[in-house]
Amino acid sequence: MSDLAIARRRMMTGPATIAVLAVLAVFVILFLAGVGFGSTWIPLDTVTSVLLGGGERTDRLVVLQLRLPRVLAAAIAGGAIAYAGYLLQRITRNELASPGVLGVVDGAALGVVLFLAIFSNESNALTVPVAWQPLAAALGAMTAIALVFLLAGRQASSAIRLILFGIAIAAVAKALTTIFMLIGPIYQAAQAARWLAGAVNTINWSEVQIMLTVLVPVGIVAGIAARHLPPADLDDVSSRSIGLNLPVYRIIMFLLAALLTAGAVAFAGGVGFVGLIAPHMARLLVGRGRVAGVVMSILLGAIILMGADLLIRVAFAPLEVPAGTVTAIIGAPYFLYLLMRKDSTNG
Amino acid sequence: MDDQVASRIEVKALSLSYGSEVVLDALSLPIPSGQITVLAGPNGCGKSTLLRAIRRLHAPQSGQVLLDAEDIAKLNGKALGRRIGLLAQSPSAPQDMTVEELVRLGRYPHQAMMQPWGAGDNAAVAAAMAGTGVADMRQRRIGSLSGGQLQRAWIAMVLAQETDVICLDEPVNHLDMAHQLDCLELVTRLNKEQGRTIVLVLHDLNLAARYADQLVFVANGKVRERGAPEAMMRSDLIEEVFNVTAEIIIDPVHKRPICIPHRRG
Repeated sequence: MSDLAIARRRMMTGPATIAVLAVLAVFVILFLAGVGFGSTWIPLDTVTSVLLGGGERTDRLVVLQLRLPRVLAAAIAGGAIAYAGYLLQRITRNELASPGVLGVVDGAALGVVLFLAIFSNESNALTVPVAWQPLAAALGAMTAIALVFLLAGRQASSAIRLILFGIAIAAVAKALTTIFMLIGPIYQAAQAARWLAGAVNTINWSEVQIMLTVLVPVGIVAGIAARHLPPADLDDVSSRSIGLNLPVYRIIMFLLAALLTAGAVAFAGGVGFVGLIAPHMARLLVGRGRVAGVVMSILLGAIILMGADLLIRVAFAPLEVPAGTVTAIIGAPYFLYLLMRKDSTNG
Repeated sequence: MDDQVASRIEVKALSLSYGSEVVLDALSLPIPSGQITVLAGPNGCGKSTLLRAIRRLHAPQSGQVLLDAEDIAKLNGKALGRRIGLLAQSPSAPQDMTVEELVRLGRYPHQAMMQPWGAGDNAAVAAAMAGTGVADMRQRRIGSLSGGQLQRAWIAMVLAQETDVICLDEPVNHLDMAHQLDCLELVTRLNKEQGRTIVLVLHDLNLAARYADQLVFVANGKVRERGAPEAMMRSDLIEEVFNVTAEIIIDPVHKRPICIPHRRG
């Protein structure tokens, strides 16, 4: 067998593929359960038949108009943030890097809050189309990552420096967000605080549509750009000496990760730690393979956010607790675990 | 030193500084084709910076590096990666990367969007692993290798680039004596059997004198002197460059000069 065939076989079969298929099965079950669960339980076979175009009128209404956008939004936002986290962990060569830790999530959130503050009128209605919201998130996210980069300066290749500046920028963005929430007239002000903590319950179809319009092209471009990730796994001198323009590539990957994060945060809010946990778990499950790593990260990110959303609907109903609080409660100890483990192995 | 040998690389009046600190000061150096050139000098003299500048990893303030009479500033990164290979001083790769994955990265400069991987790439990877004796550990993970094995895996990665010029920055630094010899014998073989032009930075002056065709003493960002090891290993020159007084004798085994430093000059 040629090396090419071996490489291809290694990519498509073996433990990685089995793991991806198993996680895909969990994803499908959770997706159907997320749609089925609510004030009235809709059995999974009914959900499936509605999704395939059948079912009764009332079931169709509940599933397609009320439940599906929410579950889809959780899956898309979780997947996008996890994808961003995967790119950031690879390009910084550090498993602590994530959109949240690097300040991108809070930057995007600040962008959205500023947008809402500036473009709301006295009756708290938005004066511009809501489709501009992802643009505001993207501007916030890219400003945050650009600041982290500029502050790190010549040491932008040091993940620890980037992370430290990221944490600082995140704190500043969070503080500014709070200030603007207090002083600004905010469209749907009651919802804004919950949205900030990461909530998918208010999302409608047109917002899901906007998310997909933003995220699908960015995701495809990121997938193509990710082909150059393997040489970037090496130290700076080695990766540059085999011909990768690492300084430029690093900026491109940071911007793509910021855009993916912005597309998710624009409507799903500040869902914390998904971008940290999902790619890390993906690596544990499928190893270093790039394609399997990306697919697994997206699936796990979607599962985590869908699972968190389902959990709060089961545990806290009729109260609507933001899904982001659940991911943060799971994510923060995970982050501490990574931090301590890193400390003990790398000194 | 016989300058009639064609210079593959010509460093011309290269100046480079980090901030206000001048590292290379209008340094000029011809690097003859098909020979082993060893850069030596005291710590901080600029030899590693020079090596990296030859691979355009540093942008000079002035001057140029010519590769076959062509300014390397005009080449794109991948094109340069097909012509000059460089092994970093302390290279690092993910611990769970396999040796083969590492060596395959050496093919990166040969890959293009439309034709990602071909038979030529397989052949180059196989030859590089065979030539460095890492073929039987291709599935081993980087983190499980000993220092000597690891260095050979990295050299295999550079070899897979199939460049005519190979630069190595202190390749024997963390190796024990046996592996130091292994490594430098391997480099010599690449030079003698495949005619590759080799540029080495070495700390150990006696190893430098044994393996160099052209020995270059770098001091204060300039080439102090260059030539055959026999001409370079003089106690007055060594005292001036390295700040030690030393006795020079001829190594009875290799018939090369070796120096025995005995006190600070």
